[in-house]
Amino acid sequence: MPKILLVEDNEMNRDMLSRRLQRKGYEVALAVDGLQGVTMATSGGYDLILMDMSLPELDGWEATRRVRDAEAGRRVPIIALTAHAMSGDREKAMAAGCDDYDTKPVELERLLGKIEALLGKQA
Amino acid sequence: MSGLTTPEAVAELRHELRTPLNLIIGYCEMLLEDATEPGQRGALEQTLAAGREVLERINATVPPARGEISEADFAALRDALREPQGRIVAATTALLAAGGDIDPQFERDVRRIRSSAERLLTVELPSGRSASHLAITIEHPTAGPLAGPPVQPAHILVVDDQEDNRAVLERRLRRQGHTVESASGGISALGMLAKERFDLVLLDVLMPDLDGLAVLERMKADQNTRDIPVIMISALDDVASVVRCIERGAEDHLPKPFDPVLLRARISACLEKKRLRDVELEYLREVGRVIQAATAVEAGSYEKGALAQVAQRGDELGRLARVFDAMAHQVRAREDRLKEQVAALRREIGEARQTTRQAAPQNALSLPTGQLFAGRFEVLEEIGSGGMGMVYRALDRELGDQVAIKTLRPELLQDATLLERFKSEIRLARHISSKHVVRTHDIGERDGIYYLTMEYVEGITVRELLDTRGRLGTAPTLAIASQLAQSLVAAHEQGVIHRDIKPQNLLLDAAGVLKVMDFGVARLAGGNANLTEAGMIVGTPSYMAPEQMLGEGVDQRTDLYAVGVVMFECLLGRLPFEAGSAIALIARVLRDQPPVPATLDPEIPPALSDLVLRLLAKDPAQRPANAAELLHLLSDLS
Repeated sequence: MPKILLVEDNEMNRDMLSRRLQRKGYEVALAVDGLQGVTMATSGGYDLILMDMSLPELDGWEATRRVRDAEAGRRVPIIALTAHAMSGDREKAMAAGCDDYDTKPVELERLLGKIEALLGKQA
Repeated sequence: MSGLTTPEAVAELRHELRTPLNLIIGYCEMLLEDATEPGQRGALEQTLAAGREVLERINATVPPARGEISEADFAALRDALREPQGRIVAATTALLAAGGDIDPQFERDVRRIRSSAERLLTVELPSGRSASHLAITIEHPTAGPLAGPPVQPAHILVVDDQEDNRAVLERRLRRQGHTVESASGGISALGMLAKERFDLVLLDVLMPDLDGLAVLERMKADQNTRDIPVIMISALDDVASVVRCIERGAEDHLPKPFDPVLLRARISACLEKKRLRDVELEYLREVGRVIQAATAVEAGSYEKGALAQVAQRGDELGRLARVFDAMAHQVRAREDRLKEQVAALRREIGEARQTTRQAAPQNALSLPTGQLFAGRFEVLEEIGSGGMGMVYRALDRELGDQVAIKTLRPELLQDATLLERFKSEIRLARHISSKHVVRTHDIGERDGIYYLTMEYVEGITVRELLDTRGRLGTAPTLAIASQLAQSLVAAHEQGVIHRDIKPQNLLLDAAGVLKVMDFGVARLAGGNANLTEAGMIVGTPSYMAPEQMLGEGVDQRTDLYAVGVVMFECLLGRLPFEAGSAIALIARVLRDQPPVPATLDPEIPPALSDLVLRLLAKDPAQRPANAAELLHLLSDLS
């Protein structure tokens, strides 16, 4: 069962998305801010990271950069999530080291497609 | 175009709108995966459809490529969101009201959908106008619906048990420029209110530990918090509790979900009301300070600068305080100057006094010095004698204080009616309160001798002063006259006419303060006493007004005539009328015009001379109407 780390500060968003992913058969671990996200991500064991970009302590862009900096071998796929939906965000996310990008409100089928594509690439 | 925003602000706006929408759509899709009951499915499908409509409208107004939005566009978007948002709220409310066995998880998720929908309409256009558009915004200050008057920054306490509500309110209020603290319950709110000063409290009605109503009641019962305005937060349908809160002193109420425009307007209004109330309270406090100062001036204890704070005001009250302070200072300085002049005179004759005093012959009214009188007064020395009796300095052993004792000739008190009238006059005189009046303590009788006890004043009389100096000059005369007038204002206020104002009755204490003796005492010489009958004349008629000599009614103006004689004598060292006998004197007083003081001494200012002549008018109606008017006329002369 693939293991996803969801880094999201909004309690309701965390609850909703993690439950929806669990229903689709993923195991979900939760981090509530950027720092916790980096700590958990670098301790390993996750197949994919869903990273919200507006986070307290450390924003998603910076958290992603730190995760990438700490990685030695295997590169964990990271999908950036944002409700800002600004043009240029995708490029910015890619530049920070994300593998893909999606906007809120999350369209689950679309997100699952991106998750599976990245996990498939891994496998 | 006006009120344009920066790209960052538009991004923030998208985030604010899409975050609740994400929850609406996400939870709704998830619940639909499980829902089987057709009614439930229908409501959820309606909710989902409305949510997608909201998203379309947001995307149409602020597509990702767009970096700015005008206030008008934003207002239009809000209006467009109202309808689908209303459908979501209605559908979820119906789901929650359906009753039966609702799964707690399902119920919680539906509530989250509804609260997210409510939040949608509370989103405000983030601040952060781009600089290039600032000028345009200023040119059209009333352009958009969100352009209200600037809110004065305040320190606000938000009390709500729901974290979401607190977070939304805190964010909104901070954005409006306020500083915000929050409490999750009534008890912790009261704790914070005890420690910190807030300008405004937003208080949820329904809370588990201590509800809003109870918090409000405790706030209103506490002197430290009762003036802090409170706005109640409540659901729209809870009208009854809102009414209760307003009856108990809440300023306003704010329905959930919070409409940011309404929130701003109500908070503004509330703070403005508080500001006006504070201004009004401060004004009243300062009016109180001016009144206090006036009381202090009357008591002679006003210190210059006591009104400094009020005097700083830019308004009429400040002007009043400044003028008042300057006037009080002038009056005080003038009084001090006059007192100093009198004190100097007093010092000058201090020694002479000892030699001029003659021992009075012993008689029935004499009290042996060194002995106890009436069981409590140790007689120390004789300090005067006159037509009425003798005056002694004595120690009141009961009070441990010095008093003056005045014995009264028994023949004056033989008429029972007269004695009664005298006693009642003394009772009245005891009520006169002025630093210029020698206080009368009591009237008593021992071994057939009636006596009065009075405040003992270590001083000299104006009589002694005149005997030593002759004339006193303008300034000391004015000092004596104005203090004499003050004593008469106080006495006449109590309905006491002195009837026997003369230099012998005017004492100057060590500080130069004039004190008038024998208020009420002259009553003894009144009545039908025949003035020409030997032994019945008290003192001399030199200071008596014509109406007094004729046995016509006396009133306060009779005392003013006597003041005129005293002033004449102080200025010129002689009486206005002089004669070889009492009868001749009376004839002159009734018939002749007094000499004009300024003619006798050109040094005397004409206005002062005129005033003395007015006081000496034969017809009381020609004199100043009362002592207060005299005081006023005198102050114009000093």
